[in-house]
Amino acid sequence: MITLDEFSHLIEVHSSNLAAWPSDLQIAGEDFLATSEEARALMKDYLELEQQLDELPVPMFSGLEAKILGQSLPPRTPSLLEQLLEWLLPNSRFRLRLWQPVAAACLPLVFGIVLGNFYSFGVTFESDEMEYWEDELTMLSLNNYSENDF
Amino acid sequence: MTDEELMLAVVNGDQSAYQVIVKQHLKSVSHYAYRMLGNQKDTEDIAQEAFLKLWINAGKWQVEKSKLSTWLHRIAHNLCIDFLRKHRRTQLQSEILEGVEPNQEPHENPREGSEAFQRAKQLEMAIRGLPENQRSALVLCHYSGFSNKEAAVIMNMSIKALESAIARAKRSLRNELSETGIEHQ
Repeated sequence: MITLDEFSHLIEVHSSNLAAWPSDLQIAGEDFLATSEEARALMKDYLELEQQLDELPVPMFSGLEAKILGQSLPPRTPSLLEQLLEWLLPNSRFRLRLWQPVAAACLPLVFGIVLGNFYSFGVTFESDEMEYWEDELTMLSLNNYSENDF
Repeated sequence: MTDEELMLAVVNGDQSAYQVIVKQHLKSVSHYAYRMLGNQKDTEDIAQEAFLKLWINAGKWQVEKSKLSTWLHRIAHNLCIDFLRKHRRTQLQSEILEGVEPNQEPHENPREGSEAFQRAKQLEMAIRGLPENQRSALVLCHYSGFSNKEAAVIMNMSIKALESAIARAKRSLRNELSETGIEHQ
């Protein structure tokens, strides 16, 4: 059951046409309208208001269409940024289709990168020799090459 | 052609597509601007500017985010709000009720016509007295036929805030009309 305040709010927000109300509130609205005198008075007020709103005149804007269509339009040359964006993210379905083979061609590359990132395929860079490379460098630096005969 | 196709053509500089869009949306945009601004001249300026902005910024419209009419009304709404902020007008324009649409049925009884005119004028004044966001919410939802969700997008606010604005607008109008004793005949 809805209250008079809720009923009033629903009329204001969704109009006095109960069919325009959210479907889960229509039956509750109808029930309340059938049982409450205040609800019927409120509904009558808003019906009249909406009818008066509908009757408000609007001038005829004769010549406005010609004026708008006659105004000089700036040339529609898209900016470089727009052109770049249009090239990267095309609006046109045709041009979007051109990206599909490119994306398909890139798929093996992406697949390879992902796969290579997770699987080593038995190839390892770790070996005992590698652990001593700093020592090797130090020893080499201590050599006196000037004594060598060339 | 769909809105998407038309706008794509506009992006590519197709003026005939632009003409189709103008013909499709001019009435709705100009009526919205008129109900926001209340005078014919400013309405025409805003409508012209709105369509010029559409031409210039056509590439920014995203079909997946909003309908073209929603996007266009958002442009018109922003222009109206900017205009109203720049030109705060406290007095009503004299031409508010000028130029009634010719397709309206003529009143057979002149006295009855006069009452209708007074009633309309009173309501127009009450609408004009509403804060901008309430007026905009009312116009978008009642006259332009947008859903509350679409109107909230146009006004860049939450649906809850939009619904609060429209509720306050209708409550104010109802109170004002009952205070002035205007009842529909």
